[in-house]
Amino acid sequence: MITAERKPLAEIIDCIGENRRILLVGCNECVTVCAAGGRKEVATLASALQMNSMRHGKTLDIREMTLERQCDPEYVEQLAPFIDQADVIVSMACGCGVQEVVRRFRNKRIYPAVNTKFMGASEGPGVWAERCHGCGNCLLGLTGGICPIARCSKSLMNGPCGGSSKGKCEIGSDVDCVWQLIWDRLKELGIEDQYENVIMAKDWSTERGGGPRKIVREDLA
Amino acid sequence: MSLQKRLASGEFVVMAEMNTPKGVDISQLITNARKIKGRVDAVIVPDMDNGVMRMSALAGGVLMQQQGIEAVIHLYGRDRNRMALQGDILAAHVLGIQNVVVVHSEDMANGDHRDAKTVDDLDELGLIETLATLQKGKDLAGFDLEGAPSFTTGCTVASYADDDQMAAELEKARKKVQAGAQFIVAPPVFDVDRFGVFLAQAKGLGVPVIATIFLIKSVGIARYMALNEPGAHISEDLIRRIRKASDREAECLRIAGETIAALKGKVAGVKIETNGWEHRLASILDYAGV
Repeated sequence: MITAERKPLAEIIDCIGENRRILLVGCNECVTVCAAGGRKEVATLASALQMNSMRHGKTLDIREMTLERQCDPEYVEQLAPFIDQADVIVSMACGCGVQEVVRRFRNKRIYPAVNTKFMGASEGPGVWAERCHGCGNCLLGLTGGICPIARCSKSLMNGPCGGSSKGKCEIGSDVDCVWQLIWDRLKELGIEDQYENVIMAKDWSTERGGGPRKIVREDLA
Repeated sequence: MSLQKRLASGEFVVMAEMNTPKGVDISQLITNARKIKGRVDAVIVPDMDNGVMRMSALAGGVLMQQQGIEAVIHLYGRDRNRMALQGDILAAHVLGIQNVVVVHSEDMANGDHRDAKTVDDLDELGLIETLATLQKGKDLAGFDLEGAPSFTTGCTVASYADDDQMAAELEKARKKVQAGAQFIVAPPVFDVDRFGVFLAQAKGLGVPVIATIFLIKSVGIARYMALNEPGAHISEDLIRRIRKASDREAECLRIAGETIAALKGKVAGVKIETNGWEHRLASILDYAGV
């Protein structure tokens, strides 16, 4: 999933400025799972904004909405009846959701209320960790299903650097050395020989070399 | 007189662009440079021009300095992060390079190493600000430098298709000048009268304008550019002139030379791009009368 963290309240307040009518839009997908921008977080932020405003002797007119998916035009359309009644939109979706709302409602200012972080997975309650870099040319089949691009601090392709110690990365004792994880995994599977394979200079053209990426499925279009 | 002094004094500046080799054989580069030594004020060395991997501009610039020719090197952000760029900038100063032009980078997808990873840590404006910061004796992390470099810094204005785009490009140039650019390199000029419109507006930037002289080497190139670069204003008359010439190559060189001559007095100087015909630079200078 795409992970996110809510922005500091002061930053959101600063973006809203003197606007009083706020359409605060959450998303029921990834940001709900990582507790950054779902229905509950929308309600919490709405209360925080209102309380701040009341401290200054004013009240905000906040409409709370949480769309099923903010990155999908079909759901974004549900905002249409309420757009004219809002001075600004504040989105608690990831950057994809924010931009889908922009694409539909071009004349309305929108501010993000979360910082989109990475594509990751939940490692335990309240902990999410990066898993995929979205390089567009997956190597997991060569590395025992563990990604050195996303999970090695240096994105090394052929084994650990000198900073690997007791299974940890030199940048912090709470960071696993991904090449230790890969080695352990290959051993578990009995395919250590695969470690000997040299991964040549990677083709990054599938990452950002050709500019913003797009998938077109003509069979679905 | 150094390039910086010529620009400051208003003397007409002539610069020629020379690409480094794709390899380590520098004989052609040195031979071509020697042919124009004393006839140009500086040689501009592009870096990985058009996204093609070549010997670095830093090395090319140093080679020019060794030949007694003042060098100007290109800097751009596609291939190096701020650490590498700052390191190279400091190295350039120590190796005698006094001038840089911050340029746009060709997209990796259009070069000859399409599988390379794009860096783009700093854009043109960020790079000009970096140069300004280093010259104040600090690096981008705020640490003091042991000795600050100094450069004459130029920036470029991208080609534009119409007046609106020209205004947008000039606005970008204004920001670059505010960030520290001391001269601008304008897009190629094929129609000196039309270029006057640009010049009139660029005057407001308050820095010297260097016009680019792009050598059209054939009728085919002229036609291609006329079709694909509408802002270049390559006229049918110009194409006909090359087509009807008994010696088309000489005519192309003559046109470039005449354009330089026509621009004298209108701009601070010119940068001549020969696109592989560096060995013909002397002829262009002859036709230009410089």
